[in-house]
Amino acid sequence: MTTKSLRMPQLFPRPKSSTGIWSWIGTVDHKRIGTLYGITSFIWFIVGGLEALMIRGQLASAENDLIGPETYNQLFTMHGTTMVFLVIMPLSAAFFNWLIPLQIGARDVAFPRLNALSFWVFLFGSLLINFSWITGNAPNGGWFGYAPLSGATFNPGLGMTYWVVGLNVLGLASIAAGLNFIVTILNMRAPGMSMFKIPIFTWMTLITSVLIVLAMPVLAVAGIQLMTDRVYGTHFFNSLGGGDPVMWQHIFWLFGHPEVYILILPAMGIVSEVLPTFARKPLFGYPFVVFAGAAIAFMGWFVWSHHMFTVGLGPAANTAFSISTMLIAVPTGVKIFNWLGTLWGGNIRLNTPMLFSISFIAMFTIGGLSGVIHASPPTDAQQQDTYFVVAHFHYVLVGGALLGIFSGIYYWWPKFTGYFLNEKLGIANWALMMIGFNLQFAPMHWLGMDGMPRRIYTYGENMGWETSNMAASIGGAILGLGILVFIINVFYSKMNKVMAGNDPWDGRTLEWSTSSPPPVHDFDEIPQVKYRDDFWFQKYPETIAEYHHDEHDQAVPSGAQLDEVEEALPVVSGGSYGHGDGHSAIHLPDMSYYPFILALGIAGLGAGFLSNNVVIAVGAVILVWGLIGWAMEPVNDPK
Amino acid sequence: MHRVLKLSFPLRPALLLLVPLAIALLAACTPDNNQSTFGTAGPIAEDQADLFKFIFWIAAVVFVLVEGAIIYIAIRYRRRSNDDKLPHQTHGNTRLEIAWTILPVLILVVIAVPTLTDIWAQQNTVPQDLGEVLNVEAIGHQWWFEFRYPDQEVVTSNELHIPVNRPVAFKLESQDVIHSFWVPKIAGKVDMVPLNDNFIWMIGDEVGEYYGQCAEFCGIAHAHMRFRVIVHEEADFQAWLKGMHTAADTPVAGSTEASGKNLFAANCSSCHTNDSTTPGSYAREISSQQARWNGWISDIKTSGIVSAPNLTHFGTRNTIGGGLKDLTRGSLENWITDPSSIKIGTRMQKHAAVYDTADGKAKLTPAEVSDIATYLLSLKPGTAPAGAVIETDGADGANIFATNCTSCHSTGDNKVVGPGLAGIGDRAGSQVAGMSADDYIEQSIREPAAFLVDGYPAVMPEWSQLGDDSIDALVDYLKTLN
Repeated sequence: MTTKSLRMPQLFPRPKSSTGIWSWIGTVDHKRIGTLYGITSFIWFIVGGLEALMIRGQLASAENDLIGPETYNQLFTMHGTTMVFLVIMPLSAAFFNWLIPLQIGARDVAFPRLNALSFWVFLFGSLLINFSWITGNAPNGGWFGYAPLSGATFNPGLGMTYWVVGLNVLGLASIAAGLNFIVTILNMRAPGMSMFKIPIFTWMTLITSVLIVLAMPVLAVAGIQLMTDRVYGTHFFNSLGGGDPVMWQHIFWLFGHPEVYILILPAMGIVSEVLPTFARKPLFGYPFVVFAGAAIAFMGWFVWSHHMFTVGLGPAANTAFSISTMLIAVPTGVKIFNWLGTLWGGNIRLNTPMLFSISFIAMFTIGGLSGVIHASPPTDAQQQDTYFVVAHFHYVLVGGALLGIFSGIYYWWPKFTGYFLNEKLGIANWALMMIGFNLQFAPMHWLGMDGMPRRIYTYGENMGWETSNMAASIGGAILGLGILVFIINVFYSKMNKVMAGNDPWDGRTLEWSTSSPPPVHDFDEIPQVKYRDDFWFQKYPETIAEYHHDEHDQAVPSGAQLDEVEEALPVVSGGSYGHGDGHSAIHLPDMSYYPFILALGIAGLGAGFLSNNVVIAVGAVILVWGLIGWAMEPVNDPK
Repeated sequence: MHRVLKLSFPLRPALLLLVPLAIALLAACTPDNNQSTFGTAGPIAEDQADLFKFIFWIAAVVFVLVEGAIIYIAIRYRRRSNDDKLPHQTHGNTRLEIAWTILPVLILVVIAVPTLTDIWAQQNTVPQDLGEVLNVEAIGHQWWFEFRYPDQEVVTSNELHIPVNRPVAFKLESQDVIHSFWVPKIAGKVDMVPLNDNFIWMIGDEVGEYYGQCAEFCGIAHAHMRFRVIVHEEADFQAWLKGMHTAADTPVAGSTEASGKNLFAANCSSCHTNDSTTPGSYAREISSQQARWNGWISDIKTSGIVSAPNLTHFGTRNTIGGGLKDLTRGSLENWITDPSSIKIGTRMQKHAAVYDTADGKAKLTPAEVSDIATYLLSLKPGTAPAGAVIETDGADGANIFATNCTSCHSTGDNKVVGPGLAGIGDRAGSQVAGMSADDYIEQSIREPAAFLVDGYPAVMPEWSQLGDDSIDALVDYLKTLN
C-alpha cells in the first residue's frame, strides 16, 4: 500500500487460496506447517519402522539368509538415519510449530516464511536421501558414517554421498527452525509472560533450539568435509591420504551427543506438560526442571568421547569423559524425581496420554541406568558396539523420545483437530507398544553381554543368541502392531468423531484457552498473563494462594513471585502483533511461494553433488531466484 | 466447563509389562556362551565383569525403587470413580529437590572410584610384576586378522596363540578401515584404527580356545570377521613357536600333495604365503603383505592381488575362514571352490584370477580342489631341522618359475598381475643403458621396485631369498622364453 514505489515486479503474486494444494504450498501458518511436519515425519516413521522389521526378520534366526549383507547394511544405515533425522527431530518440530505460538500466546512464529522454508527443505532433503533406495544406491556405511569406511576408497558408488548430502540439506532445515523458535520464544511471549512463566514444554523447546543451532553446524562441517572427500578427492578423513579418521569421530560425536538431547528434551517437555495435567497438580519444582534441562544441554557438550572409549584415546581422556558422563546423569535423575514428585499426592487420571507419559518415566529410567553402566570405560570395553548399547539407546529413544511423542499426540490431538483419539484403541496402542518394545529391546541387554556385536547381518548357531533374537523379533512385530493400531485409531477417530471442546483435559497452559482447533489467528485476543499455568489459575483462582504460599515458604527463585504478579502489566515482550494491546487489529503474515522455491533450489544444489554440474547450476539459479523473490516480496499484495 | 473424561484404566494389566523383563533377567545368566563377557578366562575380563556387576546391582536397586515408586504412586493416587477433588497445588520442595540432586552424585562417586582404578590398571602400560611380556602386533584387514610376533619372527593369521598366565602386549593396527579387536572372555575391546596404532594388554589365565570377533562395523563381511585365541601352557606355546620355525616336509614327487603344491603355487601363492618358517621369512612376509596391499589399493576394481592371510602350517589350524567353520576337508574344499558360500564378500573370490568365471566358482576340477586341500592339510612342522634353506630342486629354472612366479607372470604375452615374459631375453638387454640382459633380469628379481614397468603396480616382493644358484637358473630359464 505505502511501499508501492519499492515494489519489484512479482513473478508470483502472494498466494491467496485457503484451500487446495496451493494453500499448503504457500502456507506460512505455524499450525499448517506443524501438520505438514507431523504427516511427513510419520510417513518416514513407517518407512523406518519397516526397515527395522526387515532387520529383525533377518536376525530372527541364526545363519538366516532372508536378506544379504549389502541390503542389511543399507537397512540399518537408513533405519538409524531415518529415525533420528526424519522422524524424531521433525516430529518434535511438528510439536514446536503447533504449540509454541499457542503456549506463549502469539499469533505465529517470529519468521513465518523461514518456518515454511524449514519444512520444505526438510521435505526435499528427506526425499533426496530416500531417493537412493530407488536408484539402488542406499547408503551402507552406518548412520555414524565412520571414516574411512564412508570414504570413496572403501565405499565407492553414490550411497554415502546421498547420505552426506542429504544430512547437509536436512541440517539447514533444522538450523533455520532452531533460530526461528529461539527468536519466537524470546520475543513473542504474551504480555506478562516472563521467562519463568512460560510452559515447561516451551522451555524445553528453547533449550533444544539452542542445541540445534549450536550442534547442527558441527555436523555440517563434518558433512561438507566428508562430501568433498568423496566428491572432490580431498583428504580430511581419508587415512590413505594422511587424513585422520579419528577426527571424523570427534566431530561427529561432538554433534552426535548434543543431538541425543535434541531428541529427548522435547519429549521431556511433553511429559512435563502431561503429568501435571493428569495429576491435576503443578509441575513439582518447575525451576529445578528448567535448570536441569539447561544443565543437560550444557553438559551435553562435554561427554562426546564416551562414544569413543575404545578408540584408544588413552586412560586420561577416558577418565575425563567418564566423569563428565556420570555427572550428566545427575540432572537427568533430578528430572525423574521431579516427575515422581509431580505425581505424588495427585488425583491421577490414567488416560492414554498419561499412560504414555508414565511409561516414559519407567522406560527412560532403564535407558538412563544402562547408560550409567557404560559410562564406566572398563565395562564399556565389553559393551561398546554390542547389542547392550543398542538396547540402551532404544530405551532412551523409543522408551523415551517416542513414548513422549505419542503421549503428546494423544494429549494435543483434540486441540489440533477438535476431536479425541479413541481411548480404547489408544490403550490397545499403548499396551501393544509397551509389550512389544520391552520384548524387543530388553533381551538385547544380555545379547550384548553375551558378546553379540552390532551391525552383523548374521550369527552362528553355536553362539547361543537365537532365543533372545527370536524374542526381539517377535517383540518388534508386536511393536509394529501397536503402531498399526495407532494408524487405525487416527482413521477410526476421524470417522467417529467425539468432539472435545476447548479444554478437554482440564489443562493448565494457554493453548487450552482457545478453540479446538484454534482459529487461523490462534487467539481472538492476545492473552494477558499473570501466572505460570495462567489458564489453570483463571479457572481455579482459589488455588492461587495455595501455590504461591508454598513458593514463598520454600524461597525458590522464580519469576512468578506474588508481588511481581500484582504489578501492572506493561509490555514485556516485543511481539509484533498486538504490542500488549489484545484488542488491536489482528495482523497475520501473508502467504508466500518463495520458501518452497528456495527449498527446491537448495535441494537441487544438493542433488547436483550427486549427479553433475549442470544440476548444480540449475539448483543455484532456482536458489538465487528464490532468495531475490523472497527479499523483494512486498509486505502486502495490492488489494 | 471443566469436563473430565470418564476414561480410566485398570492398572493391573500394566504390571504385565514387567513379565518380559522378568523373563529376560532369568534368562540372562549364560556364562558358557562362546562370547559371554561372564565366565571369564582372564583377569582383565574378570575385573570388567566384576565392575559391571557392581554397577549393575546399584542400578538394580535404583531401578526397583523408581519403578516401584511409579507403580505405587499410580495406584495410590489414582482417581477413584468421579472424584474430581483438586489436590494440593504444591509448588515444589527445595530441600527435597536438593537432596535428590546430591543423592545421585554420591552414588556416582561410589561408581567412579572403582571405574577410575580399573581404567588406569587396564589401559595404561603393562604392570611390571606380571612376568615376561609377549609382544604381538595384531593387524585388522578387511576381513581377517593378521598376528605378528616381532620378537620371535613368527607370523600367522586368524588364530592367535598365547601362553597362559603371561601378559601379552598388543600393538593394534589397520591399513584399511577401522576394526576392533575383541576377545570377550579375556578382555574388552580396543579399536584398530588406520594411522593411529593402539595398545591393549591381556592375560589368559585358563588354557583353552576362545572366540574373538571384530566389533567395529567394517564393511560387507563384518559379521564374518572372526578369530580364535588359543591359550597354551608355556611349554606348549614354546613348542608351537618352534614348530612355526620348522619347515613342512617337501611333498614326495608325484604325490597328491605335490600336485596340490603346484596348483597352489599357480593359483594361490601370489596372495597367500605358506612357508614363513625360515630366517628372513618374517621380513619377507611383511614386505610382501605390504606389496599385496599396494597392489590392491592401486587398482581396487580389477587388481589381481589382495592382502591375504599367511597360511604357514595351515594343517595345524582348527578353523577356516577366520574362525567361521571348523577346519575339515569338506569345509576346506567348499571354501576353495566357492568362498562366498562360507563368507560372503571375501576379497579373494573377487580378485583372484582363478575365480574369474561366470558363477564366481573356482576354475578347478573337483580333483584339483581336493589336491589343494590335501596339500594345505599336510602343512605342518616337518622333520627337517629349523632354519633350513629353501629347497630348490637343484637348479631347475622351469620348476622354480612354476613354483614361485606363475601366479603373477605368464610365459606368454598376456598380463596377469605382472607382465607376460615371452621374449624377455630379447628385450632385457635394451631396457637400461649399460646393463646386460642377464643383469637386468637378475636385478629385476632381486629389486623389482627399481625396475618397475610403467602401468604395473609395485607389488612384486624381492626374491633374493631364492639364493644365488636358483636365481641364476631362473634367469637362464627366462631367457629361453619366446
